[in-house]
Amino acid sequence: MILRTVFLRIVLFIAVWWILTQGRADSWGVGLISIVSALIVSLVLLPPGLFRFSFAGIFFFLLYFLSRSLKSGIQVALMAARLDPGFHPNIQEIPLRLPEGLGRVILVNTLNLMPGTLSVDLTASSLYLHVLDERQPIEAQVRDIEKLIAHMLCVELEES
Amino acid sequence: MAIPELLSSIFLVMGAAFFMAGTIGLLRFPDVYTRLHALAKVDNLGLGLIILGLLFQAPGLTVALKIILIWLLALAASSAVSFLIARRALNRGVAPWKAKEQKI
Repeated sequence: MILRTVFLRIVLFIAVWWILTQGRADSWGVGLISIVSALIVSLVLLPPGLFRFSFAGIFFFLLYFLSRSLKSGIQVALMAARLDPGFHPNIQEIPLRLPEGLGRVILVNTLNLMPGTLSVDLTASSLYLHVLDERQPIEAQVRDIEKLIAHMLCVELEES
Repeated sequence: MAIPELLSSIFLVMGAAFFMAGTIGLLRFPDVYTRLHALAKVDNLGLGLIILGLLFQAPGLTVALKIILIWLLALAASSAVSFLIARRALNRGVAPWKAKEQKI
């Protein structure tokens, strides 16, 4: 299991290096050092065996992410263009149901790119969000994304 | 004009329009939090559309993959940086701007 994770990560880093150098053969000396360093850092920061990815989960997550990104960008563009942007900003506390670790990091970063939400603080039990319009059902959106991430990482949501 | 070139131009112009809107938002929005909203979302969608437009002109597979990789890295960076700036602002006690009717 651990060997498989290490192998997959080596393949990933080789692919990234190959893309970055556009397949040039004379850069593999530096590439080898970079790949080994990246592997060591990744094993320290994200030890293998804590989670696994579900490919169907990644697909549904990306689908949701792309459709919401479109909405999010259009919303902000319209707000910027209007004379009165119609803000009702506030900071909301949302209790977290994802277990600590990678899932929460993905949640925080996804919400920054989603319509009307910006993560401003993260504690052991709660996420603090700055929302552009507090009248919108923000918590429902967070719960949707939480479910998608839990499915993608094959983890269970905790009761809040 | 060939169809790929036409699509490429359409996506590039749309991407530029979103960058324009994001920049206007950055200048017009009232506080650091609302400005970060404008920045992160525009990086996502505006850059995404420009990347899509450039993909039609990519001369080969590695260049196309590299362009997509740039988009993903820019997304991760802009999102993480937004969070760090917002958290720092909150910790330093920068109060979020409120609409007039909210203040009452």
